[in-house]
Amino acid sequence: MKESAYFNQYTPINGVWDEMYGTNCNVRDHYLKVIEYISKESADDLNKKEELAKSLFMSQGITFTVYNSGEGIEKIFPFDIIPRIITASEWAFVEKGIKQRLTALNLFLKDIYNNQFIVKDGIVPIDIIYSCPHFLREMYQLKVPYDIYVHISGIDLIRDEDGTFYVLEDNLRTPSGVSYMLENREITKRLFPDLLPQCGVRSVTEYPTILYKNLLALSPRQISNPTIVLLSPGIYNSAYFEHTTLARLMGVELVEGRDLVVNNHKVYMKTTTGLQQVDVIYRRVDDEYLDPLVFNPESMLGVAGIMGAYRKGNVAIVNAIGTGVADDKAVYAYVPDMIRYYLNEEPILKNVPTHQLGNPDEREHVFKNLNNMVVKKTNGSGGYGMLMGHAASEQEIDDYKKEILKDPRNFIAQPTISLSAAPCYMQGLLKPRRVDLRPYALYGPDGIEIVPGGLTRVALKEGSLVVNSSQGGGSKDTWVLA
Amino acid sequence: MLSRVAASFYWLSRYIERSDGMLRMLKINYASSQDTVQEFTWEPVIRIFVGLHETDADTLDNDSRSVLKYMVTGKNNPNSILNIITLARENARGVQEHITKDLWQCLNEYYHTVKDPRIERALQREDPIGVLDVLIKQVMLYYGTVEITMERGEGRSFMNIGKYLERAIQSVDILDTKFSSVSDNPNLLTDTTYWKHLLLSLGGYELYLKTYREGFEAENILEQVVLNNDFPRSVIYSVNNIQRYFDRLKNDTNVDTYREMSFQIGRLQSRIKYSSVRSIRQEGLHGFLTQIRNELYSVGNSLNEYYFANS
Repeated sequence: MKESAYFNQYTPINGVWDEMYGTNCNVRDHYLKVIEYISKESADDLNKKEELAKSLFMSQGITFTVYNSGEGIEKIFPFDIIPRIITASEWAFVEKGIKQRLTALNLFLKDIYNNQFIVKDGIVPIDIIYSCPHFLREMYQLKVPYDIYVHISGIDLIRDEDGTFYVLEDNLRTPSGVSYMLENREITKRLFPDLLPQCGVRSVTEYPTILYKNLLALSPRQISNPTIVLLSPGIYNSAYFEHTTLARLMGVELVEGRDLVVNNHKVYMKTTTGLQQVDVIYRRVDDEYLDPLVFNPESMLGVAGIMGAYRKGNVAIVNAIGTGVADDKAVYAYVPDMIRYYLNEEPILKNVPTHQLGNPDEREHVFKNLNNMVVKKTNGSGGYGMLMGHAASEQEIDDYKKEILKDPRNFIAQPTISLSAAPCYMQGLLKPRRVDLRPYALYGPDGIEIVPGGLTRVALKEGSLVVNSSQGGGSKDTWVLA
Repeated sequence: MLSRVAASFYWLSRYIERSDGMLRMLKINYASSQDTVQEFTWEPVIRIFVGLHETDADTLDNDSRSVLKYMVTGKNNPNSILNIITLARENARGVQEHITKDLWQCLNEYYHTVKDPRIERALQREDPIGVLDVLIKQVMLYYGTVEITMERGEGRSFMNIGKYLERAIQSVDILDTKFSSVSDNPNLLTDTTYWKHLLLSLGGYELYLKTYREGFEAENILEQVVLNNDFPRSVIYSVNNIQRYFDRLKNDTNVDTYREMSFQIGRLQSRIKYSSVRSIRQEGLHGFLTQIRNELYSVGNSLNEYYFANS
């Protein structure tokens, strides 16, 4: 193929895996059709498409609100129009790896809240577990339906310079972003008519159907029409759009804490015709806020007494309470050992090497090499409170060291992994920007299902390695080819 | 249906109906301010839609452009179009999975239109009627979208109860204010433009011309706005509709509350239905309207208590 202007001016970043730009300065095969398609479009046309995408997000209210001087300003989550493409073989590998990892993590949760064999056998040290704020004693020996704890997970994957996949984080609590996977695809259908079928892109629309099927199976009452609800913190939550989208797509009731009440260890919702018993709760409220009688007594978002109903087995809660102990960043380092211990298999997906700063030897090593390290808080998320060693000043590093020494258990360090790059459309040109990948796995009584797709987050700032939306990140549609 | 969801439907609908009434009122009043040799006063409009106790309203100096800015895009006026549409949209956001996507997009567009800084600029510098027409069209789009896309279920019943309750209260307020101005200034009684503008702002001008041949008489106007069931903004038409949509909420599990509220609405309906212009005159218009208004408020309170779980 005659290479297009968009491709010719594209300069990949040195020493970084490029999703589009192949080893021999060629477009990788799976990107050919997209490059060919956009080559026919002028910069003007592409700008128009970008505008269309923005106005579609805006008119559908797919926005989050930034509060500034008392006035809410609505912003859209930045969207890059060029899709990120994953080949069938890459996907098969990722899918297999996630299924294996998730199976082990789920067994770990069951074990840790029951017999704790993995601790007794000396695989995972006990102090790591008990010092984790997300390890909840309230869950001890609480029987959950089908022994499934992590019904929904969003495991973050990155690729280093030779394209190898690594797991960056296991998100096992209430991972968000799946509505962007669905909406980004809807927008791409409008932006590039006919291109999706030509490329053979697999559909992601099954996600709500599978999730609904799994929720239905968890109902403690054996009745034909159990009540399933999605519990949201309310309209001021930044992910509220996602909550309504999922509730609508599954046809379940969206409730807030104030809509629910517990009586005699059963959960009810207040309706115009009286109380109605609730069977399954897909909650998007964190553990800590779920029940003011058991956890944070200040919480206005939860339901008093819900933990008692859960313990009695009168209501199913998704994800189970207390899953945060398995995605703690200090526990992360032991996941490969868990896979070997529970499954007697070698891990398919690699872990990023992780140093526990609670361990004096490792801390020593990390402090010497801070320039090549990323230091994170073990219970942090959203890209807050991180130290990127390669970009930090002396002063920042010294301050951070002091912070670490206050409570070393709360920190881990990892070598800086250079995320892979994918082409983004920026003011008339294609430019490489760093991306990660978050596929969503659904664990039901029939096993684990992963919808072929996911959320690709992209660091839109030049040179940035942080893809979180709070730190200037955006997203892309993610194509998995058949 | 969740109580909170029912309440959101009800308030969403009340806010939209209020914005509709306000916009039409502002449009006709502005037109009327261009069409009079006497000093035009905005005071009745402000009294109906803001309440004069609001201190901000005092600083407007009866200047048309400042009044319009305050009423449409005023951030400090809790009842400005901007603020009530924001509230309407927040209610809609809370029930997003119960309304159709079309309706949500329509409300979003209304919100973004009001919020657009160009609207405020145009209101100051350009033809305000053009601006108000743009907004009125958004309300009409909303009503069209509700009519075409919304499921005929419990939610829509609560929407309609909210809509007609708001409309009845507005018509009562407008009548009360307009007629009390007449008792302060009897010259207005024979001022045809005064009555004509009242009818125009309620959208009842054409119907009036067809019904009455003898020009603008205060008593005829009273009859049309309170008692004419063919006039969609009359009090009786609104109350009949409250009754009609309330009837649909009847089911096996809420017999007691249903009976209690049904009694309340029925009594109000009869009170209006079996009144005549003469009987209203005899007992005093202001007293009559005050009683109707209080009854309408107590319907709202009962809904709050029995259906929205806010007691």
